[in-house]
Amino acid sequence: MTQQTWDEVGGVLPHDEFRAASEAIVANIEQVIEGKTATVRLALAVLLAEGHLLIEDVPGVGKTKLAKALARSIDCSVRRIQFTPDLLPSDVTGVSVYNQETHDFEFRPGAVFANLVVGDEINRASPKTQSALLECMEERQVTVDGVTYQLQTPFMVIATQNPIEMEGTYPLPEAQRDRFTARIAMGYPGPDAELAMLDGHGAADPLQELRPVSDADTVRRLIATVRNVHVADAVKQYAVDLVTATREAPDLRLGASPRATLQLLRTARAVAALEGRDYVLPDDLQALAVPVLAHRIIPTADAQLARRTTDAIVAELVHRLALPPDRKRPTGYDTPRPAAGNGRPPFEPRRP
Amino acid sequence: MIASRNIGFVAAAATLLAAAPLSSIFQQWTWLIQSAIAVAVVAGAAALTRLVRAPLWGQVLGMLAGLLLALTWLFPGGGELVAFLPTPATLAHFGELAQGSLQDMRSYGVKVPDTTPLLFISVLGVGSVAIVVDVLAVGLRRPALAGLPMLAIYSVPVAVYVDSVPALPFVVGAAGYLWLLVTDNVDRVRRFGRRFTGEGRDVDVWESSPLAAAGRRLAVVGVVLAVVLPLAVPGMSGGLLDQFNTAGNGTGNGRLGQGGGPGRIDLFAALSGQLNQSEVADMVTVTTTEQNPFYLRFGVADELRPDGFRVRPPNGRPVNRDLPDPADRAQAGVEQQTYRATVEVNRSLNMPFVPVYTDPVSFDGLNGNWSYDQNLGVVFSNRDNSRGKRYSFEYVRSTYSPAALRRARPLPAEHPIRLQQTRTPEVREVSLLVNRLVEGKSTDYDRVRALYDYFSRENGFSYSLSTKGGTSGQEIVDFLTNKVGYCQQYAAALAWLVREAGIPARVAFGFTNGSSVDGDTAVLTNRNLHAWTEVYFDRFGWVPFDATPAYGVQGSTRSAWAPDSDAPDPEPSDTAAPTAPEDPGATAGPQRDEAADKDTDAGFDPTTGAPVERAPTWPWWTVGAVLALAALLALPALRRRALRRQRHRRPAPVAADVAPDDAAGASIPMTVLGADAERARADAHAAWDELLDTLVDYRVRVDPTETPRATAERLAREAVGEDAGSATAVRLLGRAEERARYARDPLTGEPLHPALRTVRGTLAARADRRTRLLAAVLPPSVLLRWRTSLGDSSARLVTASGRLRRLLLRWNPRRLLATRRA
Repeated sequence: MTQQTWDEVGGVLPHDEFRAASEAIVANIEQVIEGKTATVRLALAVLLAEGHLLIEDVPGVGKTKLAKALARSIDCSVRRIQFTPDLLPSDVTGVSVYNQETHDFEFRPGAVFANLVVGDEINRASPKTQSALLECMEERQVTVDGVTYQLQTPFMVIATQNPIEMEGTYPLPEAQRDRFTARIAMGYPGPDAELAMLDGHGAADPLQELRPVSDADTVRRLIATVRNVHVADAVKQYAVDLVTATREAPDLRLGASPRATLQLLRTARAVAALEGRDYVLPDDLQALAVPVLAHRIIPTADAQLARRTTDAIVAELVHRLALPPDRKRPTGYDTPRPAAGNGRPPFEPRRP
Repeated sequence: MIASRNIGFVAAAATLLAAAPLSSIFQQWTWLIQSAIAVAVVAGAAALTRLVRAPLWGQVLGMLAGLLLALTWLFPGGGELVAFLPTPATLAHFGELAQGSLQDMRSYGVKVPDTTPLLFISVLGVGSVAIVVDVLAVGLRRPALAGLPMLAIYSVPVAVYVDSVPALPFVVGAAGYLWLLVTDNVDRVRRFGRRFTGEGRDVDVWESSPLAAAGRRLAVVGVVLAVVLPLAVPGMSGGLLDQFNTAGNGTGNGRLGQGGGPGRIDLFAALSGQLNQSEVADMVTVTTTEQNPFYLRFGVADELRPDGFRVRPPNGRPVNRDLPDPADRAQAGVEQQTYRATVEVNRSLNMPFVPVYTDPVSFDGLNGNWSYDQNLGVVFSNRDNSRGKRYSFEYVRSTYSPAALRRARPLPAEHPIRLQQTRTPEVREVSLLVNRLVEGKSTDYDRVRALYDYFSRENGFSYSLSTKGGTSGQEIVDFLTNKVGYCQQYAAALAWLVREAGIPARVAFGFTNGSSVDGDTAVLTNRNLHAWTEVYFDRFGWVPFDATPAYGVQGSTRSAWAPDSDAPDPEPSDTAAPTAPEDPGATAGPQRDEAADKDTDAGFDPTTGAPVERAPTWPWWTVGAVLALAALLALPALRRRALRRQRHRRPAPVAADVAPDDAAGASIPMTVLGADAERARADAHAAWDELLDTLVDYRVRVDPTETPRATAERLAREAVGEDAGSATAVRLLGRAEERARYARDPLTGEPLHPALRTVRGTLAARADRRTRLLAAVLPPSVLLRWRTSLGDSSARLVTASGRLRRLLLRWNPRRLLATRRA
């Protein structure tokens, strides 16, 4: 990912201002999505980690609502793409059209030229169209007709999709999935939250009354603050161990990529900052392992036959992986690390 | 069937091999022949009953019948039919034999002669064991259990020899047992059919089974343990390995103070060892009603071999039965007086004899384990020893007038005592000397006196302890030439010379009269140990003669019939002693005592002195072992305590200069970490480690995959329960550790140690008593750490040895064979 410069994202926010700004956004979204604080915070964390969010769940649980509420809470440019089977790549990226007045081709920007892009039902478009997002999501730029257009910061794609078992969907290609920082599931609301929803949404859509509580500039400074969160060596080691474990787990055909490591740590920074800490804990990585890693990995046929979901596999890895020892201070309860395995956990290498 | 017969044969042979330890009890090998007959009959009966497919009880009956027939034939009582069919009279005879064996066991010391009762009981025992072994090995197919009856045989010499048993017979017995086991196992394996070996079948051509290597390793470990353990454990090493060299040759190097059978002590060696000691140790306290008693004696050496006088195994009746009455030797010129004496043996004196005065007539305070040998006049035991014994007895003191002794006639040549006690090895110099000295003497007494007087200062004899001991022929000649020696040589030389003159003589051992006389109680030390000569006169019995120069021996006594040959001329009473029988001896005047003390010290070389045998050392060993064990057990607890103190001793963090909360908002990303921060970090780590150790101690789960925060939450939720203070404390510890590990700035100024104490107290209160005790005595955290490090090091060792093995395998000739196609 091309790194933004410090100038572009602005200065670091003080602790209390950061807290106030982030809490405001979360509270604002919660006016629409009741009883899903963790999901909302995770969505905000992905935004602050400069990542992209994939919301996957069955129809009708509020995926699009969450995406739109997040977009509306921030005063910045928002575009929405309804992915349909006949959508074309140029509808996403933009197209050069001939302007008869200037006798020249003129670039008409597509939907991705915005701070927040809400891609609804992304897996209903054909893989050809889905691939249009590849460049912009990773490199934050669009190349049309040989001309490269930079996108603004912040830039975030919030996509929703139905699970792959639903009818009329195309699975996202692996490269596409890997570009999403986190995949979250909405889940059904609790009984109380559903009652409150009936009251709130009965008369009018609260989404219409939602007012922005933040702007793009504030979000940039929030991002700058998140980048400044401290990550100890042991935590980095733990992130590497975690990702390596997915690559060596016998249940998995494809492990997580180095990009996953990067995004895992970045999201952990954001989560730590949202919790008011200026350092990352292994707890953050453990909590984020499933949302960040589970959608990138592919289980083996055996695991699929055994109906082991990737979520379950990652959760089990997290449960079994020992914390890395503090390098300066070995204690008796740290798992000794095999010297020859360059710090790899003792999983059997996967057979081809 | 064939296999059963084979195993039955092996079982019989193994029984015979296991009977080998009996060889250390019997003098001859008759028992082996008879036992072999009995076992063969038993095995034959077993084979016959199996041939007719009799059930197990039938086999047992058959074997019992076979044993009965064999016993009848071997030990006939006179009332049998056709020499081997038993009758009720035979059974009564067997009962008598069993009774007699009990009697013999009491009266004989090892090694026992071939008496019929003892042979009967041995053959009966071996035959019974053969039956049991056969039933176990063949009938029940449990040959491992057959080791128990075999061990029963081995326990017989163990019971007889108080301290240790020869090892070789045990090895023979063990070999028999192993033979039985191997035979049975081979038979078992054979039932599976043919064995496939070779390449790719996991069984090497050279291995008998895939498990053979494990078996070999186990065997090696077992043998090493069996050899190393007795060496390592104090008190056992003196037994097995030493006895391997010395047991069974009849003499041993027995020393006073180290027990052993009464026939196996070399009293000479003991004597010189004790006399040569630099320290004086009390040995015996004696109280007697007699004014001037003669020596207290405990041992006799009357077997003269080319290598010197040797002690014979004594043989006699229990002391609490009737003792021979010395009154039948009373006659003119012999005065007999009855006195009473009480002897208390010190705990440091440990031997199978107890010291008594000559001719005891009744005993108090000695149990039936002690026997009196009428011929040797010693009180001995095969089971007990003298350590700490206190007893009293009445004895008859006989004094003889020279005139009466002169009347004694020479013993007839066929008299058993003369036959036995005048045998001497042929030494030409001694014969010449004796012939010269006794020339012209008409009576036995005059001959003896001539020889006795020869050992005088006039003839150049003097006393010195520093000469080399020994009583063999060459050593006697050396002594007679050098004329320097101590009681051992004087006593042995006189006895030898008297024997050479055809008069029975022997060497007696005992104590001289103690010099520190307190009323009628005397304390006898190792310096009072002494040897003298006893000469047999017909109708008088054994009469003592002490040829050792009186100045060399503390508390020596002379008698009317054997006056001091060195008596200084100015003292006419001594030279006149032969003519003054009313003054029987008692030359131990004060003047002589001084001289004796001086001379003993002067003639004694402290550099050659062996360390003194003092109080028995086993209590110290025991106390030491118990202490060592306690220290060993206390080691984990001490280690745990030291660890806790070390963690606690880190200086408590002083008020932090770096405020932790302005670091988060500061624009400078890093604040300078001072020494305080490092110290706070170390403190938090120490507190956390201590918490984890405490958790392990109190058996609360420690999960290496849990973060400090998760651990603290779990503890707050589960382990410390509803105690809010502890929950806060454990969360504080978790937060401190988490900050110390992962944050820029550690938590400072928090009361970690009080929090730790709170958590510890709560955990201890919630644990059950056993856990609490274990946590205090054997902290599992320390044990776990040691176990882990042990496992690591052993893993390293295994890796290294594996590498070495692969390296060596390259040079293994088997590889060449294995690769060759069959």
